[in-house]
Amino acid sequence: MSATTAPKPFDRPRFLPVFTGLFFVFMFAPIVIVALFSFNSTKSLQRFEGFSLMWYQRFFEDSSLRESLFASIEIAFVTMVAATALGTMLAFALVRARTRWAGTANVLMLIPLVTPEIVAAVSALVLFTQVGLQLSLETVMIAHITFSISYVTVVVRARLAALNPEVEQAALDLGATRWGTLRLVTLPELWPAIVAAALLTFALSFDDFVLSFFTTGESPQPLPVRIYSAIRFGVTPTINAIGTMMLTVSAALIALAIFLPRLLGRRESGLGVLVGREGA
Amino acid sequence: MSEQRFATTLLIPGGLWLLLCFAVPLGLVLAASFGSTDDLGNTIYGWHPDNYRQAFDPLFVPVLLRSVGYALATVALCLLIGYPVAYYIARYGGRWKHMLIALVVLPFFVNYLVRTYAWVAMLADEGLVNGAITNLGIRDSGIKFLNTDFAVIGGLVYGYLAFMILPIYAAIDRMDQALVEAGKDLYGTPWNTFRHVTWPATFQGVLAGAVLVFLPAVGDFISAQLLGGPGTYMVGNLIQQQFLGADNWPFGAALTTLLMAFLSVWMVLYLRSAARASRETAL
Repeated sequence: MSATTAPKPFDRPRFLPVFTGLFFVFMFAPIVIVALFSFNSTKSLQRFEGFSLMWYQRFFEDSSLRESLFASIEIAFVTMVAATALGTMLAFALVRARTRWAGTANVLMLIPLVTPEIVAAVSALVLFTQVGLQLSLETVMIAHITFSISYVTVVVRARLAALNPEVEQAALDLGATRWGTLRLVTLPELWPAIVAAALLTFALSFDDFVLSFFTTGESPQPLPVRIYSAIRFGVTPTINAIGTMMLTVSAALIALAIFLPRLLGRRESGLGVLVGREGA
Repeated sequence: MSEQRFATTLLIPGGLWLLLCFAVPLGLVLAASFGSTDDLGNTIYGWHPDNYRQAFDPLFVPVLLRSVGYALATVALCLLIGYPVAYYIARYGGRWKHMLIALVVLPFFVNYLVRTYAWVAMLADEGLVNGAITNLGIRDSGIKFLNTDFAVIGGLVYGYLAFMILPIYAAIDRMDQALVEAGKDLYGTPWNTFRHVTWPATFQGVLAGAVLVFLPAVGDFISAQLLGGPGTYMVGNLIQQQFLGADNWPFGAALTTLLMAFLSVWMVLYLRSAARASRETAL
């Protein structure tokens, strides 16, 4: 926005900053309170009686909760690797391929993004039962990979579409092989988007509840499923501790997705890549 | 030619995965919705349209209507809260603009369950808010927040607000500020300038936001499960019960198909406008 069109102070509706401030309080207060009470030294969720790590200690002393944490990390990691690979290939094909199948694949890729999670979860459950797959961590992974592919494709495709194809053409004309061009020319340009997509996928998978809830076996269950059972049982500070750890992981991943490309000398921020806009 | 073959080959892994793990299962749900169950609760495929008749049984119609009503209320509230916030950040955010929009997105990456739990912990009978009310002597006994329409809709608004703000923010940010100046120069009141200039120019963003909030809100079951009770159940709760409790998969599949069919109209509209928007920005 240029300086000449900057609004004069009296043009600015005064209620807007107040309203926006209240909005941020509304968004962050509950989360801050959850985190605060995870450090409470008593079971109370009404009064902060003193700092303590007892609820975290409780969590790590519970071997089945620990297993759930590792299960969630394992699921998120496998999902990240598989979905990033599949989604990046798909993005490349959708931008470059000229067959009519590309249009079909494009629709197939976009629908999961707007499908309510419960529909995706129910269909995954029906599929696994139909082909006789025992519900386990692997079935959760399959369900997570399916819905993560589209996110990766959208993020990577936005970056890919902004590339100049003539640079690749030049490499090919100079005798580079197809793979050599991909490795030395295309991928180095794409990697901020790929890294951002991978981190986003990890965060989404690690946080996912609905798909996991429908497709998980008995034990170990992913952490969000355990949180759900625990909440239904009653509200305790242990849940606050798990919630606080999960939000720390998510915040760290998102911060990494935003700042990693910048730290490594890229001009564009990861945020722009994440919301699909260049140069944000 | 080999360039094209290379690109087409890369279409296969992801495309095949989505076909087998997304499209085929949707077809299976459709098939199961016409099935029946045996004594063990297993699904037998067949032709039983009764599952759909059952969905419109007077017992379940209120649940379907409630789902749509809650989702519409959620969209309305998200718009009322989200538009001013998006407007402020896009117009007056200045150099803090990107920081502020990142702050809007941030809570959205906190697990939805944990965020809903935060409200449960605050609004429960023994929770923070009721503790404050009784301790400060405002009332002798606390207020019953949970198990109300208000609580469930509040949970949905809190859960999906970011989906409304982002597209509206993008629309306002993209809009030419000079148009507003022109409106003022032509002696438009702030309200008239907003109504005749800003609102029409950002309406596509509002529509996109409305669809992006409506779709997940209709299918949600966490908010009604944790902040509400049987009196506030939505279609998502009903579906979940059929699959994970009552073991009546064909009925659950019929409800899922109805939900998907009802939403597909909005999905198509949204995907069309998104495709048009991406073509326009590409130009």
